[in-house]
Amino acid sequence: MLFNSLSFFIFLPLVFILYWLVFSKKNQLQNFFVLIASYVFYGLWDWRFLFLILASTIVDFFVGQFIHASDSTTKRKTWLWISVLFNIGLLGYFKYYNFFISSWVDFMYLFGYDPKSTWTLQIILPVGISFYTFQTMSYSLDIYYKRLTPTKDFISFATFVSFFPQLVAGPIERASNLLSQITSKRVFKYTQCTEGLKLILWGLFKKVVIADSIAPIVDDIFLNYNDYSASTLILGVSLFSFQVYGDFSGYSDIAIGTAKLFGIELMSNFKFPTFSRNVAEYWQRWHISLSTWFRHYVYIPLGGSRVSKLTSVRNIVIIFLISGFWHGANWTFIAWGAFHAILYIPVFLMGRNRIYMNTVVAQNRWYPNLTEIAQILLTFSLVTFSRIFFRSPSITDAFGFIKQIYTHFSYESYHHPMGYRMIDYFVLLGLFILYEYRIRRDERSPFKFKSKAVRFAMYVIIVFGMLLFYDDQIDRSFIYFQF
Amino acid sequence: MKKLIIKSIIYTVLILFTLEGLTRIFYLAKDTPTRFLDEYKVEKWQPNQNGFSVTGNRRQNFSEYHINASGYNSYREFTPTKDKVEIALVGDSFIEGFHQNYYNSIGKKIEKSLPKIEVYEYGYAGYDFADQLHLIHSYSNQFDAIDHVILGIKFSNDLTRDEYKVVKGRLALESPTNKTLKKSKLLVYCKNIGILDPPQELLYTIKSFLKSNSKKAVVDSLSALKRKEGKEKKYLENFEHLIAKYGFDKNRFTLLLDSRITPPVFISYLRKNKISFIDFASSFSSSNHPKTLIYDRHWNNHGREIIAQLIIDYLKSIGISQINN
Repeated sequence: MLFNSLSFFIFLPLVFILYWLVFSKKNQLQNFFVLIASYVFYGLWDWRFLFLILASTIVDFFVGQFIHASDSTTKRKTWLWISVLFNIGLLGYFKYYNFFISSWVDFMYLFGYDPKSTWTLQIILPVGISFYTFQTMSYSLDIYYKRLTPTKDFISFATFVSFFPQLVAGPIERASNLLSQITSKRVFKYTQCTEGLKLILWGLFKKVVIADSIAPIVDDIFLNYNDYSASTLILGVSLFSFQVYGDFSGYSDIAIGTAKLFGIELMSNFKFPTFSRNVAEYWQRWHISLSTWFRHYVYIPLGGSRVSKLTSVRNIVIIFLISGFWHGANWTFIAWGAFHAILYIPVFLMGRNRIYMNTVVAQNRWYPNLTEIAQILLTFSLVTFSRIFFRSPSITDAFGFIKQIYTHFSYESYHHPMGYRMIDYFVLLGLFILYEYRIRRDERSPFKFKSKAVRFAMYVIIVFGMLLFYDDQIDRSFIYFQF
Repeated sequence: MKKLIIKSIIYTVLILFTLEGLTRIFYLAKDTPTRFLDEYKVEKWQPNQNGFSVTGNRRQNFSEYHINASGYNSYREFTPTKDKVEIALVGDSFIEGFHQNYYNSIGKKIEKSLPKIEVYEYGYAGYDFADQLHLIHSYSNQFDAIDHVILGIKFSNDLTRDEYKVVKGRLALESPTNKTLKKSKLLVYCKNIGILDPPQELLYTIKSFLKSNSKKAVVDSLSALKRKEGKEKKYLENFEHLIAKYGFDKNRFTLLLDSRITPPVFISYLRKNKISFIDFASSFSSSNHPKTLIYDRHWNNHGREIIAQLIIDYLKSIGISQINN
């Protein structure tokens, strides 16, 4: 079920009303109801893969108990490995099996062997598998590192794993945040619900108006890059930056907003990455739940930055390569991760990776200064360049795209593949950037205006924008569902 | 909870009202003229109406229409006489041309090229061949004075009936409920851009689920071919029946069709029976520019230019353009 589908708009109010009016007397009852709702939510896409979620839930629930109950480190380690291997095994089979086989065949081919690739399988990638496996693994890891006591309530744990607002594309929650809320009694709060509704509205705008409306342009340019000159290709990849941001941050806002309706606070996943002043800040603002996950469970256990500079650099490379590979079974994602490592390492070596941790651009001012503008433009350009790898179907295409930019370095006017006016999109993006800049201090309050009239005007503009840019011919699924 | 529900309802209503206003201010939704059934049971538009037709989101196509005294979208009145040279274009929405300014229609383009000819456009959305022949038959006194009649025909759509009957479904669009709904420009706009399709599909799915449990029969390719041949045969019979019943002057009547979507059996029939036709297939195929609108399968200005030019060439070829010139 998609957040931007009619079925979700029937499903959500129904579940919301039953949750608060019928099942609110007992916490366990509420959790059980949310669990069923989550399974329905997921099962409407493909019920068969519910068994995978259930299997992952059962394994980590018991592994958590066993780790906690074991005194010996070896036993604790063994149980942890069972959890990790099981979850990575699921991912390996469903997401990476064909990639490994075809890469092996390609590798052998380099040495003159031709082992016909008959082992690749027709495997459907279960939606959200990369997200929920990481979430369940974090539970076992936290118990292993003694940061968490396992729950004995299976229903609550199953609800934590499959909580529908964040089941298919995050934010990837840690048990210390989400499970603790699930096991506690929730109280209906009017303010929390209105905040949730506002986030849902803003998320829908980002998805329907920003991401979906520019998708046909991006698709056309990446598909036919050989026919276009540099100006069009740069336009295409820049628009893709906004598309993927609108798509994924829109999804995250809807997820966080929906969770709020049920009295649950999820972690923020995006904090206006467009206004990052260097790549390190970008990674503190983009897909925060994944970066945090890798920092906690991979980077820090590897020694983090408390080891020698060289080992830290190695750790950074590992993190970015894994992060790239997490996104998809394709060399393009690994190249994308490697490129980000190359961008990050100089920032790290100069000791500038944490300088913007708690500030935003133009912290106490209305406008950014020239240095900040230059920093933002440079960061945006570098990150956008990396997206050529992220978006291209293969490494060959990615390099073909780059080659086309410098071999056809000229300007040409671009016409929308469906004949729409391009100026509409430029105006739209301009206004969107300005508005995001206006609200950059608080990603959870997109409509923070003192005047009720201004707030109301914003709601109208947002809905009107959706009406103006809605297109029923566009594929409305979310980009990150494929990961 | 109560507060949330009440406030949500209030906000929703206020937003909807404001959106209705905005839709009107920016003229995003089309006007719909009123239709009626005349004394000959010919369905047409109420005479002397003006308005704007809008397609797509953000007013991708915006055009003005003018319904003349005869009940058709045209800049001119239809006054055929034996002294002038008149051409009638009869057809469905493609000839009706709400998607173009009424003063830039196919007829007007022909008149620009052949100034002494008056072109009367009897177009009405949904007219099939039965509608067209019934119209010509009912207004024979007018059509007898017209020098040449060109009838647009799409084989798969326009020959499903073997005689004219009033299409009640179309007239039901004039029901009080529909008229009231059409007053909301926001609703009209939402329907136009497809936002209302998912709920409509959902209702349809529920309806068909409740209605019958019968599964759709799987049709193999042989049965599909047989069914297609059966349909073609039936449509051809309908064509024969219609021209026999309402009359078809082979010397004055010409069909306008696209051979890419017309079965060869029908083309052969026309040739065999010396029924003349204008085929726009090759002209459309050879043009690299889009021939239809965005969000709409109707001909755009370029498409209409092609059609007009083909008709001009045809009229020249049969000598109509020479009369009185």
